[in-house]
Amino acid sequence: MNASDQKATPNLPTQRRLRWLRLPQSRQRLPRSSRALAACVALVTLGLPHVASTAESSYAADPAWWQPGDSRVMPARAEYDDASGRVAVLNAGGAFSTKGHAFFTAIGSNGRACVTCHQPSDGMGLSVDTVRRRWEETQGKDPLFAAIDGSNCPSLPQADRASHSLLLDRGLIRVYLPWPPRAAGAPPLQPEFSIEVVSDPTGCNTDPVYGLHSSTPSISVFRRPRPVANLKYLLELPHGVPPSDFLFYNDKSLMPRNPETGGFVTLQLMSDGRDLTPKLQARDAAGMHLQAQGPVTVAQLEQIETFEKQVYMAQSTDHVGQDLSGPGNPPGLGPEALEKGAPARLGNNPINRIFGSFTMWEKGGADAQTDTQRTFRESVARGADVFYLRRFIINDVGKYNDKGLGNPFKRSCGSGCHNTLLMGMDLAPGYMDLGLNNLPWATPRPDLPLFKVVCDAAAVPQSYLGRVIYTHDPGRALITGKCQDVGASMTQQSRGLAARAPYFMNGSAANLRELVDFYDRRFNIGYTETEKQDLVNFLSVL
Amino acid sequence: MSRCLAVFLGLFAYGAMAAEPVGTPVSFLACPIARDTGPEVDLCFFTEHDGKRYALTNPPDFGSPQLKHRVLVEGRIKDGPTACGATVLEGRVSVMTELDASCNTVVPFDNVIKGVAGGVFNSGSPQQRAYAQDLAQRAAQDPVLSLEPAILDPPATPKAAPPFLVRNLLVIYPFDSDRGPGPDMLKLKDLVDYALTAKAKRVEVIGYRADSRLSDGTELSERGTLAKDRAQKVAEIIAALGYNKKLVNVRWEDGAIPGKGDEDWRNRKVEVTVTP
Repeated sequence: MNASDQKATPNLPTQRRLRWLRLPQSRQRLPRSSRALAACVALVTLGLPHVASTAESSYAADPAWWQPGDSRVMPARAEYDDASGRVAVLNAGGAFSTKGHAFFTAIGSNGRACVTCHQPSDGMGLSVDTVRRRWEETQGKDPLFAAIDGSNCPSLPQADRASHSLLLDRGLIRVYLPWPPRAAGAPPLQPEFSIEVVSDPTGCNTDPVYGLHSSTPSISVFRRPRPVANLKYLLELPHGVPPSDFLFYNDKSLMPRNPETGGFVTLQLMSDGRDLTPKLQARDAAGMHLQAQGPVTVAQLEQIETFEKQVYMAQSTDHVGQDLSGPGNPPGLGPEALEKGAPARLGNNPINRIFGSFTMWEKGGADAQTDTQRTFRESVARGADVFYLRRFIINDVGKYNDKGLGNPFKRSCGSGCHNTLLMGMDLAPGYMDLGLNNLPWATPRPDLPLFKVVCDAAAVPQSYLGRVIYTHDPGRALITGKCQDVGASMTQQSRGLAARAPYFMNGSAANLRELVDFYDRRFNIGYTETEKQDLVNFLSVL
Repeated sequence: MSRCLAVFLGLFAYGAMAAEPVGTPVSFLACPIARDTGPEVDLCFFTEHDGKRYALTNPPDFGSPQLKHRVLVEGRIKDGPTACGATVLEGRVSVMTELDASCNTVVPFDNVIKGVAGGVFNSGSPQQRAYAQDLAQRAAQDPVLSLEPAILDPPATPKAAPPFLVRNLLVIYPFDSDRGPGPDMLKLKDLVDYALTAKAKRVEVIGYRADSRLSDGTELSERGTLAKDRAQKVAEIIAALGYNKKLVNVRWEDGAIPGKGDEDWRNRKVEVTVTP
């Protein structure tokens, strides 16, 4: 069998339209009568208006789309079909009714809620398949397509599909940030660079109302929503990253503080680090994305943060590999491992290997029932090795090679940037220009705006691009105003990937193969075809 | 055949150069050259200057060389084995800020100069190493343990006890940079703990910048604000860690310390003094 044939991709739209009842893995081997009973209990529980924390409520059927304001039960555990199997969402606080809950309620003026872009059925993110399906089901009337950021620009004719092409084609939401950079309630920063619009396919950066030269100068960039899950790994200060948990590794400057508690905070939450805590992010998002007219109440923010901190998400089942977690399987798979795991630890060592051991699948696993299943699992185990062991030369990554590590240096995916135990983002607080946004490395993106950044002569230049940079998204530099930060972003977690394509902050990889191909091209790695497929299979089960 | 001959002649040419005596100061700007030292290990760096090869090494986290940037090499020739196939210097290597696209050479692995894997468990305290070793054995039997954090948090620094005396810290910086090395920043953290425990009357922070005189007589200057930048950054960290900001006396020297061409790197510094 050719490696690329090892995994059949199901007809996704058909799969996603099904509304299956999902039983926990421990229950999937129950007699049919018992499964039917559990399903009936689950259905009944769905109708309950109030919190139901019984185990039976945990496995209710879930329509794929979570509509703001719906009175539903957020179960303690649920599984949802995705591109390669099912993703599981574990709500560690127990099942509750979403009626009136701030995360699930439209608290702004455009009918959206947090859940609009953080769908449980998409691993608490938003897949482009879901976006397209929602467009078809509502003829583009869903609040998801709100003019403010669900379209390429609010000034475009909103009934046209083309006006929402970045959301429909790449899953991108418009993020509009003030220029010059200015934190909420603070005076503008004096940036180290000037910025001009080179091309503007969406029209928004040159728009007289929304653009760079409008009365409220803004820069529009287009980014993927990050999944709201596994937050304990993003919020805990890093262990084991020198010199300490309160300094950036990059330049040894101080980490910011949580204005609420006064303690130091990580910057892992957002790609550009502009909001430091879940509450601040929720407040910002309520204004920017939900168009809330007034302040979000303290109680609402508390409710949102509490929920977000108790959600864990990971792939739980693969169409070919079958059950991913449970005895005999790799211990790092499934959301339960994330709930139990130690947060903010370095995993780039021979014991942890980032996502734990996969050795039990090196020969297919003891309980493999078919050759196909065995072959797939062996491929995943090989992929884990490639991820952790296969070193390649990493060069010219701004804010990474230049933070003392050397240019170039040699690491694997896991020993390099994706080093956090169980999560796979970079534990060292910092940002990097992988080449997603800045030319010449960025995948050609004629659909995105292109900016020319010219840094002041006195500014420390971007380490490998200098003082004139062409970028689709200045990234962190739109917050700090620093030349060195142009195009840099925070790495993100690697869990539940199969549920939330496309990938990278600008959606440039439509699927996991394109993601692997990007790295292979960017760093001239020379992965074999088998290695690529093994990596794809490995990433698909995380 | 001609390639082999060229390599041989090249090696001969380097070998034929008269070796400088140990302790001879050198100071120059040059492109770093990266050398691949094997598939399982990192690269190393060396450079060439006046027909000689020098290894580019630094203390931990002082900053490794970067292609696309020249390096400022300041050091004295050191006795002992070569590193990266080149003479070792006692001193510092600084990465220059500006881009230099001509610095872009990677020497492929030659199966002669081989790197040695560091091993993440070779560092750390004895307790950390012992724990990791034990966990490795147990995880081999029980894969679930592969999710146990293998690297324990380092033990807390013991709390200082009287008598409380004056303590100092010297932080050395790369040329034109205010990035203090990680180990020095850890010492700074410990020093702040000491100041808090000792209820220190004051903490003094003095920042400096310094020129470099190259071996060919050229003078290099750091940017004019750097003494202030270095001092203020350290002072901010001290205050952020809980020491009373009003008791931190921050100063900096306006002028640069002139270069002498020998150990100029020692003058790019911040001095911190805690007085109980």
